[in-house]
Amino acid sequence: MPPVEAQVRATKDRKAAPDFSLKDENGKTVKLSDYRGKVVLLNFWATWCGPCKVEIPWFMEFEQQYKDKGFAVLGVAMDDEGWQAVKPYLAERKVNYRVLMGNDSVTQLYGGVDSLPTTFVIDKDGRIASAHVGLVGKNEYAGEIQALLNGGKQTVAAGHAPLSGADALLASAAK
Amino acid sequence: MTPTEALTAHRGATVAQTLTVTVKPGYHVNSDKPKDEYIIPLKLTWTGGTLDTKATIYPKAEEIQVNGQALTVFTGTFPIQTEFQVEPNATPGTVTVNGKLKYQACNNEMCLRPVTVDIPLQVTIQ
Repeated sequence: MPPVEAQVRATKDRKAAPDFSLKDENGKTVKLSDYRGKVVLLNFWATWCGPCKVEIPWFMEFEQQYKDKGFAVLGVAMDDEGWQAVKPYLAERKVNYRVLMGNDSVTQLYGGVDSLPTTFVIDKDGRIASAHVGLVGKNEYAGEIQALLNGGKQTVAAGHAPLSGADALLASAAK
Repeated sequence: MTPTEALTAHRGATVAQTLTVTVKPGYHVNSDKPKDEYIIPLKLTWTGGTLDTKATIYPKAEEIQVNGQALTVFTGTFPIQTEFQVEPNATPGTVTVNGKLKYQACNNEMCLRPVTVDIPLQVTIQ
């Protein structure tokens, strides 16, 4: 993998990632704080989201490559149909990282999450080191993960202006 | 969303109503018949009043490639036509038919969560 510049916030500028409790596909309750001490890639996604589909193989690769180095991917699925839609999707793709079922209470903690994918990279102390709305390059994530696993101190936060689903239609009119 | 215009129909007649939808530049909404089973289709439904929905006619979808995925979508401004059948014994007067348009929009980098918007339609039955 080519070296890339990490796009993580300076340690002093990082805010605590809000803790939450959600269930995984086995019904086990998982807290974000259970992962304290690890670098976490927290990815809000949905089965109907095309750009999310692009990222999943990358995240599987990261999970495989860095899981023994203090790293974990946590997916938070935002499908209204719940596990009925998500379980087959995960099985088809043989997703190797833990996925939790999201809800609006949790997304509110993270600024609403109107657009998917929305991804937060969280440092070992449970602070948000970077936030991305939309599809981001694989190397960008890899660089951030590597920087945080190595105690990275780079700056420059990334992000796109979010939009809500209701904003996508300019107008509709019946005649 | 702009208010819908009232429709006038005779008892027992078939009437057509066109909903015009405009999507913001750079975005697309999934068509009514997406290729992937997980993708949320555009869907217009109507309930209430004394009108039966005979047919909902969506335009021909565009086929596009986004991040290596083949999609069928609508962009820009497009019409959705609904044909209503007014019941022969409908009571003359004004009724409200409640439309719901469900859509899910994306651009090349992100998707917005699905939204359902209400479309109240006033129908005067003569």
